[in-house]
Amino acid sequence: MVTNKQFFKRSLVFILLAVAINTLLNFGYNRGMFYFRQCRVQDEQFRNYPDTLKYLMLGNSHNRIDPALLGNGFSYIMPKEVYTQTYYKLKYILEKTNKKPEYIFLSIDPVNFSPRVEKEMAFDGYWRKFVNYFELLRERNDPGYFRNWLDGYFFSYAGNYRYMLMSVVFRKTDLGLIKNGYIPARNYRNFSKEPDRESLGFKIATVYLSSYGGISTLEDTRSYQKILTLCRQHKIHLILLRMPFTDEYLKYARRMINLDQLDREIVALTRKYCDDFIVFDFRNDFKGKPELFFNADHINPDGASIVSNKIKEELSKIKDFKEVTGSTFRSESGSAACPKSR
Amino acid sequence: MLFNSIGYIVFLPLVVILYYWLPFRFRWILLLVSSYFFYILWRVEFVLVLMTATLVSYYAAVQMGKLPNKKQRMNYLVLSIVVNLGMLVFFKYFGFFSNLINSIAGFTGKKNFIPLYSILIPIGISFYTFQTIGYAVDVYRGVLKPEKHLGTYALFVSFFPLVLAGPIERGRRLIPQFHVKHDFSPELFTSGLRLILWGMFKKVVIADRLSLFIQPVFSNIGYFHGVEIGITLVMKMMQVYADFSGYTDIAIGSARLMGFNLSPNFNRPFSATSIADFWSRWHISLTSWLRDYVYFSLPSKHHGKTVMWRLNLNLIILFVLVGFWHGPNWNFIIFGLLHGTFMVLARVFHPFLLNFNKVTGLSRVPRLLNSLNIAVTFILVCSTVFFFGSHSVHDSFLMIRNLADFSKTDKAILLPLLKNYDFLLGVALVLFMLYFEYLIKVKSFAVKFLSKPIALRYSAYLFMLFFLLVFGLFASQQFFYFQF
Repeated sequence: MVTNKQFFKRSLVFILLAVAINTLLNFGYNRGMFYFRQCRVQDEQFRNYPDTLKYLMLGNSHNRIDPALLGNGFSYIMPKEVYTQTYYKLKYILEKTNKKPEYIFLSIDPVNFSPRVEKEMAFDGYWRKFVNYFELLRERNDPGYFRNWLDGYFFSYAGNYRYMLMSVVFRKTDLGLIKNGYIPARNYRNFSKEPDRESLGFKIATVYLSSYGGISTLEDTRSYQKILTLCRQHKIHLILLRMPFTDEYLKYARRMINLDQLDREIVALTRKYCDDFIVFDFRNDFKGKPELFFNADHINPDGASIVSNKIKEELSKIKDFKEVTGSTFRSESGSAACPKSR
Repeated sequence: MLFNSIGYIVFLPLVVILYYWLPFRFRWILLLVSSYFFYILWRVEFVLVLMTATLVSYYAAVQMGKLPNKKQRMNYLVLSIVVNLGMLVFFKYFGFFSNLINSIAGFTGKKNFIPLYSILIPIGISFYTFQTIGYAVDVYRGVLKPEKHLGTYALFVSFFPLVLAGPIERGRRLIPQFHVKHDFSPELFTSGLRLILWGMFKKVVIADRLSLFIQPVFSNIGYFHGVEIGITLVMKMMQVYADFSGYTDIAIGSARLMGFNLSPNFNRPFSATSIADFWSRWHISLTSWLRDYVYFSLPSKHHGKTVMWRLNLNLIILFVLVGFWHGPNWNFIIFGLLHGTFMVLARVFHPFLLNFNKVTGLSRVPRLLNSLNIAVTFILVCSTVFFFGSHSVHDSFLMIRNLADFSKTDKAILLPLLKNYDFLLGVALVLFMLYFEYLIKVKSFAVKFLSKPIALRYSAYLFMLFFLLVFGLFASQQFFYFQF
């Protein structure tokens, strides 16, 4: 029989052990997680970047525009980034640093408006320095943001065994390849060589789009509106991107949602809050070209280079951004981009 | 508040600390307030339904307690049943019956005979309604004295570990526990914590991981064929088990922290050797409730003699009710009907099966026979998942049709995904769960484990805790049975 006193003593030891292990895991994860290491390099490069920054790329890993090709640009993207996080990052940049970009690149892909993505505000261990979780909690009346806050400070490793494994596999990756914040697109796989392309396309489309119920139902849409408002307030030109996708992904995505309608809704929403934007639509540019993809919904370095060059070419043609505002630039048969509907 | 939420992790220790700190006479107040607080967080309006159920069944029981014979008590029993069942039918089945009546009226040319409303179902209503009805019937039958203290009775109905999804408790088992002072017991407390940890493990590590693979299939049934459907059915069964038994373990563990002993709901259901055996091991509190209050009340005699066809019909009725209890959907009715039919067939063919076993010599190899029975029962149970898991009867039949279609295996979508680490981990964890529960229930693992050195036990707990934290999915997914 254990006496109460013995029990409390033992419980205390157990709790202390648990706290110690948790602290170690949390610290180790924050130090060693591959994405966090990338982000620390990005943060450092951003701090050292001249204040005259012109082009800023924000958003998730779909946004693979190489700033070096545009000149005077910085890529400040993070995998799995959602608009809520982008908003806070942009707010931080505009309010806490001396940098005021003239142009911001942001992807407006279906996944950005997926209810699944919205629920998964990932990597709080990194985002805690930007995001005000308690403001979100109050605004959206969702105590889940308290969990995000806790995750960020005390349990950033929780549920992330895949990133732990990934960090071990990529521990020797040369982070020196990151230039102007740009993380070169992943190249250790090629989608054209995947035997199960159909299956992979289905998986990505289903995971993110199967529970889609319209953008108006999403909390993250509010963050998108806030980004637009911030851009308008600071007179920033917004360049919205529809990035290329594989045929397999698009096939299933189209069965799950009406992509054209989604595009129209996004543009209509953007017009409502921002009067200084253009859209580059590359979605169907790589039709029948799986070799330009890393996986079902991410372009590889070859794909990224084509897209970046197209953007550079198109931007060079624009004399006055105000004149083309609200336009959508769409490629003809995947060759060069040219204005289609204005 | 979900059991697998941060809120609960803060709420439960607070209640437990206060519970032991307060003098006994105030403890019921703490438990009642915290139970209502726990419930109110879902939706304030739902409390009105819970309170009505409580007050009506309390009043009816107290009145029954004053009356000496059953005939006089009947009126109050009817009052309690009509009000409680009426609320359940209104909130849960109004849409179903409206649709049914409108469909029938449609044949006579009348459209929208009954207007359709979208009614929110108060969470837990299926569980606490059965609890209050069971209590009223027990008082009516004279096997239980009515609880005079309204607060204690209200606590019996709303006790936070069980108000959302059971176990469906009997008054005679739980109410007396509220009258007993529970002193802090380290053994009971740690056993409660162990159950909570195991329940959480089953929910966030196993069930939620499996649902990543199952959900897309049930949402896009048309794309899947042959083996893919077979695998999904088995995984769905495992997911529901891990989810619901995980919930139950957390509920029982939470109550145990304060010295309360709730009824078990599962007893290794996948080791059942027949469908009847399966239902004596799966959601035990529901099936035993239906057995005691419905099945035994159904007439079994014809011209004064107990006849087999009556008993069989009663079984079918009972299982249709089990199905219908799960939800206002033809799917669940078919699910229940299938289980009832399996039970009746097993009963009818029992003598033939015994003969068959003798003739083939199977009866001489009991282990093999047992394994065969387990396998057949498992396949039969999984075959009903077509109806239990899918959204409509159409989807269920589409799944059945696609299951038989092996021509598209080369275009399989799910099969390549099964190489995914998460899925393989899920399968390994399911096997671990089944083996671990076998060790606990059959090999008295818990007793042996408790005799091990403390360092070993602490290491095991810490390993489990951090395994859960690292491999769990923490997107706060609801428990599957909350929808019922």
